[in-house]
Amino acid sequence: MSEWMVAVLSVLLLAGQQNPFASLLGDSGTKTAAQPPEAVRYLYPEQVAVTADTATPVELHFSVKQGLHINSHIPKTKDMIPTTITFPSDAGVRMSDVEFPAGKDFVLPVAGAPGDHLSVYTGEFAVRGMMTAERGAHLVQAKLRYQACDNRACMPPHTIPVVVNVTAR
Amino acid sequence: MRDKNFLVAGLAMVVFVMLAAAGWANWMNRKHLAEIQMQRQMQPMVMGQMPGMGTAQNGADGEMTSPMVGKPAENFTLTDLSGKKVSLADYKGKAVQLNFWATWCAPCKIETPWLVDLEKQYKPQGFEILGVSFDDLDLDDAAKLKGEEADIAKSAKQLGIDYPVLLNGDAISKQYGDPAVFPTSFFVNRQGKIIAATMGLTSKSDLENDIKKALGTGE
Repeated sequence: MSEWMVAVLSVLLLAGQQNPFASLLGDSGTKTAAQPPEAVRYLYPEQVAVTADTATPVELHFSVKQGLHINSHIPKTKDMIPTTITFPSDAGVRMSDVEFPAGKDFVLPVAGAPGDHLSVYTGEFAVRGMMTAERGAHLVQAKLRYQACDNRACMPPHTIPVVVNVTAR
Repeated sequence: MRDKNFLVAGLAMVVFVMLAAAGWANWMNRKHLAEIQMQRQMQPMVMGQMPGMGTAQNGADGEMTSPMVGKPAENFTLTDLSGKKVSLADYKGKAVQLNFWATWCAPCKIETPWLVDLEKQYKPQGFEILGVSFDDLDLDDAAKLKGEEADIAKSAKQLGIDYPVLLNGDAISKQYGDPAVFPTSFFVNRQGKIIAATMGLTSKSDLENDIKKALGTGE
């Protein structure tokens, strides 16, 4: 019986050293250094096929890192920096009727917060527009500018590249 | 024999359940610790990887610390909202809090009224705050610059700031370790040494403790 107890204790000690579910659950534990650096990531599409010289609806999808929020395209106050996207004008590709989603109302969940509502994006969001491209292959390098915060701190405004391969036939 | 098999099977089941429970408890504990750490560090597991946040480190107690702590506060000269040149050297012999903030920083707006109160409370003991704005300025466009400065002044007024607000914090960013989150504060003691730093919103009592350290009256 005592051998059993030793065996049980040994197994429990081992269990205390390692998370047996880590590989299944993606437990970050204390090793968080491999997190990607951007608060916002461009998700897709990487490639778009459109009919040449014809306005085609396109959706560009982004992801805001969990725990962070960015101001929407239309913040509630002038001092907040809006999320914007710019497209190069010389790429043979034109974007028109660009639409951002409405922001979500958000109040910092911190004691002492003044209760001012922010208009933010969290999680995934998509920017829609009509794309018109000249015949041929184009590498569109747009830029998304945003300003990210969590509940206790803000980062300066930042710009990420939005690269899309456009084929117009 | 059958009883023995039953006993072994029972014990194996107990071991399995205990192993699962221990593993689960361990995972929950790690998750909880990670959450606490994340909250304390304004979620630097996300932000810590942002450009500039590489300068921040975790202290032994898990709090975010700055490599600037323990170093002499480098002198600088910036212009305040009234156009007056202000140098850190002007405050020699005083305890100074350098508060890096921006008008677009919502957590800064929670912290600032605390700072206004604390500055009033500890000013008689020789404590001063210098607010350093990190709002972008179009230094090459006089018309835009004027508007930007007016926006900062308006925001400072709305927040009740009555200590100097210095412009163009980017100019001294490198000297102070390129802080990449706001609010960030450095607490400079009477001898001109940075004795504490906060990154992200903490609490009024944490700020007060750091002010006391800078004044030499706290632990």
